[in-house]
Amino acid sequence: MAKLRAAAVSFLNARPLITGLAGSERIELVLAEPSACASMLERGEVDLALLPVGALAGKDFEIVPGIAIGADGPVQTVVLCGEEPPARWDEVYLDTASRTSVVLSKVILSEMGLSPRFTPLPAAEGVPLAKGQKGALVIGDRAFDVKSRVVIDLGREWTSLTKLPMIFALWAGRPGALAPEDVAELTRAAQHGLGIRSEIALAFAKEKGGDPEKYRRYLTQRIRYGLGPYELTGVETFLAKAAQKGFLPPTKLRFADDVVRTRRIRRQVSLDNALQKAADGVRLDADEAEALDEKAPLLELGLAADLRRRALHPDGVVTYIVSRNVNYTNVCTTACHFCAFYRPRGHGESYVLTREQLAAKIEETISLGGIELLLQGGLHPDLGVEWYEDLFRWVKANYPTINLHALSPEEIWHIARTSQLTLDDTISRLVASGLDSIPGGGAEVLDDEVRRRIAPLKCSTDEWLTMMKAAHRKGLKSTATLMFGVGEEPRHRVNHFLRLRELQDETRGFTAFICWTFQPEHTRLEPGDNSAHAYLRTNALARLVLDNVPNFQASWVTMGGGVAQASLHMGCNDFGSVMIEENVVSAAGTTFQMDSEEVERHIRDAGFTPMRRNMRYEHVGAAA
Amino acid sequence: MLSTLAHRALERDGLADIRDKVLEGGRLGEDDALRLFEVKDLAAVGALANHVREQRHGDLTFYNRNVHLNPTNVCVASCKFCSFARPDDRHASEGYTMSLDQAVEHVVSKRPLGITEVHIVSGLHPDLPWSYYVETIRRIRQAWPELHVKAYTAVELHFFAEKFGKTHEEVLRELVEAGLTTIPGGGAEIFAPRVRRKICDDKATADEWLSVHRTAHRLGIRSNATMLYGTIETLAERVDHMARLRALQDETRGFQVFIPLAFHPEHNMMGKAFPKPTGYDGLRTYAVARLFLDNFDHVKAYWISLGERLAQTSLSFGVDDVDGTVLEERIYHMAGAKTPQALSEAQLHRLIRFAGRVPAERDSLYRVLKVHALPAPPERPAAARLPVSA
Repeated sequence: MAKLRAAAVSFLNARPLITGLAGSERIELVLAEPSACASMLERGEVDLALLPVGALAGKDFEIVPGIAIGADGPVQTVVLCGEEPPARWDEVYLDTASRTSVVLSKVILSEMGLSPRFTPLPAAEGVPLAKGQKGALVIGDRAFDVKSRVVIDLGREWTSLTKLPMIFALWAGRPGALAPEDVAELTRAAQHGLGIRSEIALAFAKEKGGDPEKYRRYLTQRIRYGLGPYELTGVETFLAKAAQKGFLPPTKLRFADDVVRTRRIRRQVSLDNALQKAADGVRLDADEAEALDEKAPLLELGLAADLRRRALHPDGVVTYIVSRNVNYTNVCTTACHFCAFYRPRGHGESYVLTREQLAAKIEETISLGGIELLLQGGLHPDLGVEWYEDLFRWVKANYPTINLHALSPEEIWHIARTSQLTLDDTISRLVASGLDSIPGGGAEVLDDEVRRRIAPLKCSTDEWLTMMKAAHRKGLKSTATLMFGVGEEPRHRVNHFLRLRELQDETRGFTAFICWTFQPEHTRLEPGDNSAHAYLRTNALARLVLDNVPNFQASWVTMGGGVAQASLHMGCNDFGSVMIEENVVSAAGTTFQMDSEEVERHIRDAGFTPMRRNMRYEHVGAAA
Repeated sequence: MLSTLAHRALERDGLADIRDKVLEGGRLGEDDALRLFEVKDLAAVGALANHVREQRHGDLTFYNRNVHLNPTNVCVASCKFCSFARPDDRHASEGYTMSLDQAVEHVVSKRPLGITEVHIVSGLHPDLPWSYYVETIRRIRQAWPELHVKAYTAVELHFFAEKFGKTHEEVLRELVEAGLTTIPGGGAEIFAPRVRRKICDDKATADEWLSVHRTAHRLGIRSNATMLYGTIETLAERVDHMARLRALQDETRGFQVFIPLAFHPEHNMMGKAFPKPTGYDGLRTYAVARLFLDNFDHVKAYWISLGERLAQTSLSFGVDDVDGTVLEERIYHMAGAKTPQALSEAQLHRLIRFAGRVPAERDSLYRVLKVHALPAPPERPAAARLPVSA
């Protein structure tokens, strides 16, 4: 098979995306400057390119979802420079290597009410001329070394103007050129490269000189590689502004599809046999689970799951916990397509909670009988392990009775990376400073075909499980989750269950399983079947397949109390937590609320005895 | 066929005798219905109800395209569960009364939307003349002859009879002459006098409600029947309510559908003392109704009250009808319903299809207009979306 030809720049910020393509059997790399990448794609000399966003204008190139090079705030490597403030400039030399930044310069200066003459000139010639009434645009690694008196960071300007990230380049191909496997290959390469950013920084410093630590910070904290809802809005806003000012023709974004369809051959399964087996506690295999997922009626799954629940929890008790869900920051770099909660760092609505805010929340929680803090947040590029250690020690020093149920695997992975620690060391340090248990969030669907499509920059299935295993080994208990209804297929959900079951056989670290459906409001991801019916079926099937997970939580937060009550009759034995605060799901439109009294009314009305519990599912006293 | 797992569960629960009656086509007694209510095994009772539902209708799930008209919320009755009624139509009390022109326009303006039915329910207004009620129907039908008019609950019809010195039959004949085609099921609440005295003392009694429907059925007018659950009634009083409906249905065969309605607690006199009944209570009520009301063709879940998620779930618990697109619902929304005020036909299809059922558009007489056996295109919001091809 002929390889696809891909044009890309060799700038430092592109290296995490292209390093992993060395030796690729599908894609051959051609290195060029940004403007040349664009023209080679336009002339058909390459099939795809790491394309300056400006080059999308008026073309029908197809964007690879999920990956881009951008910044939310200062970018450092796209700057206007001169010796006088821009209001004095009558001419600006535009770096001929650039495509997008040329337009960005015009947009930004025009927003400042300035309209100097623009003259294309290579940066090597332009920068020395940028004196008096002349300014110059410099892009790429050369900008690290600009020493002018006035330096305007165009990333910073854009974000303060629009409150959106600025995306400079993304992978895009000729219409129809990219097969799903190619998209997968680009994503794989990106995941590989993003994981070795420290090494890339070191190699770059050796090659070009300079401080490796500066380069590392640039790659991990300045540049963002996600292309999610905010980033796409950034792209659209940039193209729209440029079109409105007449700098570019109008453009509608198009995307390359990336769903890979591979099917394993499945043997014939008798639904009735599989249901009987499962109801009696016999372990289901993948074929049986998949057949049930595809075809079994809701109430059949429900009746079987109810038998399992009765066997595991014969006392008719349904537990719940008084806990508060606190999201310490909404700043995140993974830009997942299903998320309506995250904000880029420079965004006006971004936040990191202060100690005062946290104290108020914890004190209110304790006054409501709360015993646990569920602390989760985005992947904030500036927060290292010390920040978390300080936070946990502070919580434990001031509120010693509170159980710290904190940090999903993805966050711990992120802390390890930003602090350049091993996973084991990271977990040990977090435990030493007060971490008690971890939530099972961020699992989404543990199947890389799905993850790549909905959250390309999130950790892979193996990484998530590796992290969980490491945590369980250190004695931490966790929950396990599934977020579905994102257009995945039965086999993906079954893979998810089987991977969890396998790890649970090994570690016994999962205390409970909870699933919920994708909530699409304010996100850009098209939902699959995310209905209540799908929730009840999937939950019941999970109860049957996950024979080694002791507890199942009903998700009334997403489904409402009534559907959650139905799930108590189809596999669940726990009603989760009362709701003092929740931000992530409610950002996507769901607004169910219940206090202790209401939770207990729902449990009793459905025929069960309510009981409060702790994170280890030990009963901690009778009902309120 | 009832599955092995369902048999196991029903036997475990001591419901084998009820199961046998159901499977042999026998009739459940009131004590049977009470046991089904009290057993607290939702999956088992649901499976039995689902069995009956699928025997009757297979996967077909009915809906219609309708618009609601509530010409006035001014009402002389003082039902304690109601958030809609106002004592008069002065501005400060949020009362309103549409002029005849407004009422007709409200309906006729929906003509381009492919609607087949208008559902008209009002307050018991102290001053409106008889001609207002007749002319509302007549003028709607004049402007839109093929529209089906489902109008005025038995409580209103009885009020008209008393106020304007007519018999139930005279009231019905004049309205039919103007264009009325069926009667909605509202106003039944709970028949038990103990409950009625406490929650709706000053409107039609159970006997009067049943008498209006009996008369209507005799005149060839089909009607619906409701039950308001979740106030102060006991489970036995729910069963009694259904038993009285079943008895009238044996006599007339004029009821088309049974519609349990959940009490909504916001903005009314009872809300402080009584929370909204839980979804569990709704699901078991549908299931018991499906099993007990063996002479009713249909059981409807009103999604406006339940929400889309529970309405969808109810389709596995005996329900075969989800009401309609319901343009501009007011009554439940004034009682705090958080549901949308209308669903598009595509949204209804999605709800039904994802429950593994087949949407069938019906008219007001439950004649199937179209079975939507092929998948409808998925809803695409206007905002740019990433492509997902699963």
